[in-house]
Formats: sequence, structure tokens, C-alpha cells
Amino acid sequence: MAEFEFYAVRPEDSPREMQEVNNLLADRQLEVDTRVEVFVLCRAGERLIACGGLDQNVIKCVAIAQDFSGESLSLRLGSEIIALASQRGRFHLFLYSAPHNRDLLRGWGFYPLVEVPGLVVLMENSPIALQAYCESLRLRREAGRRIGSVVLNANPFTLGHHFLVKHAAAECDWLHVFVVKEDASEFSYADRFALVAQGVTGIDRLTVHQGSDYIISRATFPSYFLKERKVVDHGWAGIDLLLFREYIAPALGITHRYVGTEPLDVVTNMYNTDMKYWLHDAPSGAAAIAVVEVPRVSINGDPISASAVRTLLAKGDLAEIKKLVPEITLRFLEKKYAGARPVGAGVS
Amino acid sequence: MTITKQAIAGTLESSDLLVKVAPGNEGKLDIVIHSEVIKQFGKQIRRVVTETLAKLGISEGTVVVEDKGALDYAIRARVQAAVLRGSGPDDLNWEQL
Repeated sequence: MAEFEFYAVRPEDSPREMQEVNNLLADRQLEVDTRVEVFVLCRAGERLIACGGLDQNVIKCVAIAQDFSGESLSLRLGSEIIALASQRGRFHLFLYSAPHNRDLLRGWGFYPLVEVPGLVVLMENSPIALQAYCESLRLRREAGRRIGSVVLNANPFTLGHHFLVKHAAAECDWLHVFVVKEDASEFSYADRFALVAQGVTGIDRLTVHQGSDYIISRATFPSYFLKERKVVDHGWAGIDLLLFREYIAPALGITHRYVGTEPLDVVTNMYNTDMKYWLHDAPSGAAAIAVVEVPRVSINGDPISASAVRTLLAKGDLAEIKKLVPEITLRFLEKKYAGARPVGAGVS
Repeated sequence: MTITKQAIAGTLESSDLLVKVAPGNEGKLDIVIHSEVIKQFGKQIRRVVTETLAKLGISEGTVVVEDKGALDYAIRARVQAAVLRGSGPDDLNWEQL
């Protein structure tokens, strides 16, 4: 019987082994993902025969050499990766795989959530977690014929976000606002959530929801948080959007999703296009959700965006920021950056 | 004993099982069992899991079992290990086990 050796390696520690990983993945029509923090490798003698990567709580880049593809090696690889994740404090796991490996990976205790046909399937290591999340959403259902939704990163909350929420709420019987939970942005989730929650007071008939692993997270939409690097994983946006359409929207009875037009940011603009396809046009067992694009508010001809605010903030130009953000955000920025940066004249 | 944090024990290999535990809410104890032999031994596996949890005094939490055809003593050991890892060792009473 062949002796298998399993061990973990961080990509930056061993470029030579990463070349082997590249080759193994390429043999299985996969690419290495630069966000993987650590790989589990398996060797039979000298030869690399299996690998699997971990990007925080997401397993990806799983491959087994063709001549070793049997269930028992797969299950050992799965055990090793799950054990490694648990050592790193990660228990709630997601997994990306090519759809043809779906059944093999069911053996790892992962359950399919959504699939972009022919491209990728997202799985989760719990048969009940998403269901439990949807049940918690169901408790916050509101009656009405037109139930809107908005998903905001609000990094930070601007007058543009405020306008979008106000516009959407006015058109709907109820509006559900979600704040992206992933702490991968300039401003922390706690700060972003507080700004949205306070920023929308005074707008009637809406609920501000905590974000979750299932809405624009590292798990559902890995490339979203890389957009500064202009990486676009076109088809993959389908994962995030199908989760929304098939699980989240039905739980809350959502019929419409509102989004700002995106004249500035290529990735987000692509996401808007994808949104219309996956939420509305794509074949799915779930009802179609209408996507409403709301023209972005402009100041002096420039559309308001959170990234513009961040650019100004880097320059310490609070006077200019004042035109782009509501009072609540301005006060937050002044407080956060008090002393460190020049504050606009006349602001006490 | 109370499950206060997430934990796992076991492997996915043949004749073993992987047990995942997580803290619960509102006094609910959710036990989910998946097994390749669920048709033949599903009831038996559930009985062993339930009894082991009861002996440990667990009445709240989520317990997910991925069984690969393990025998009773393996099931008992893996469930105990996962619960102990997930509850902190402070109030461990070996007599109960």
C-alpha cells in the first residue's frame, strides 16, 4: 500500500513547491488562487499527488492526481484540511469546487449551496447553517407587494447611499438594507454598520440587517474585496447573487433589488450587469427579482462615491468630504482622524 | 457541561466519523447525522450520540455527525472529544464518562 505523507505549507515559504502545486492544478484544469494562505500537500514518495488550499474560512484549489483519484485519498485530504482549519480557529467552512467534484466533496461533510453551471459550486460544511440564517430572517418579514432590498458596503456611508436608500424606500412597501459584514475594508464593520443605522434614521418602512457570510463575503464573492487590484471574476458573481435569489430573498419576500449606477468603478459596474442576469434572467428555481438601477447623485458633475471619500480622506481634505457625506459620517471622520489630519476651517 | 465554542473531533476516513459541535441558542439541541449506512444503522447511531450527549449533560447546541461507518465505541469517543474541546476542560468530571 502506498505511503502518503501530508503536511501544510504557506505559499510564500516554498516557491518551488508552489510550482508543483501549479502543475497539479493545471492538470486538473484549475488555477492557483493567490489568496490561499496555506496549502495541505500530499506526497507519495517524492511525487505531489494531492493538494487543497485554505483562504481563511474558504477551501479552494483542491486537486488530486488523476491516477490517485479514489475516495479514500480524497477523504484523508479532506480530514487534513478540516483539521488544519480547526487549528486556525476556523470551523464554519465554505468550499469552492468544480461542479463535477460535487459528489466527491459531499463525502467531506460539505453541502452544495449554489452552482454556476459548468464553472463552480459553493459548498458549506453544515447542512443547517444557511437554513437557520434564513429562519432568523423570516422572523423579520414585512407584509407588502413590493419589498425592496439594498446591499451596502458603505465604506463609508455617503450622501449617495442615503439617496439610494431613501429613493428605494419611497418606491417600496418595505425596504431591507444589508450592510456587508466582511472586515476587509478601510472602515470596520462595526463603524460602517453604525453609520448606516444612524444615517437612515428618519426614512420610514425599512429594516437595517446585519451582514452575514452569505451576502458579499469572502466566501460568496472573493473578488469583491480585491477590486482595488482590478481583478474581475465575472462568472463568480453568480454565486453571491444566486444565494441572494434562492435563499435570502425568499426568506424576506424580497421582490426588488436596488443599486446605484456605477459610472466610475469597472468591477462594481460589471457586478450591476451580472446582477440583472443572475437575479432576473438566469434560469433558477427561485422567482426572478427585479433589479432597479438608481442614477447616482452627483456634486459639481462628479458622482458621489465612497472611494472618492477615501481618496479625499487620504489627502486630509475634510472640507471637500463635507459635500459628499451626511452629517453623521462627517462627525465620525472628524472624530476618528482628529489631530492626525487638518480639519476644514470653521469646523469645531 | 455546556458547549461554549466550536470544535471538531475525528476524521472522514472509513470506519471513523467527524463530529462538529457549536454553541446553541434558546435551549435547542440540534443533532444532525449523515451516514453512509443511515438506512441500516441510522437509529443506532442517533441513540449512541444522544446517550453520549446526555451523559455529558449537553442540552443545548448544534452537533453535526459525518459518519463513515464507525462502530459505537468510536462514535462515543469522537462525540466526547468534540464536546470536551468545545466546552473547555474546567468542569470535567471523568466519572460521568
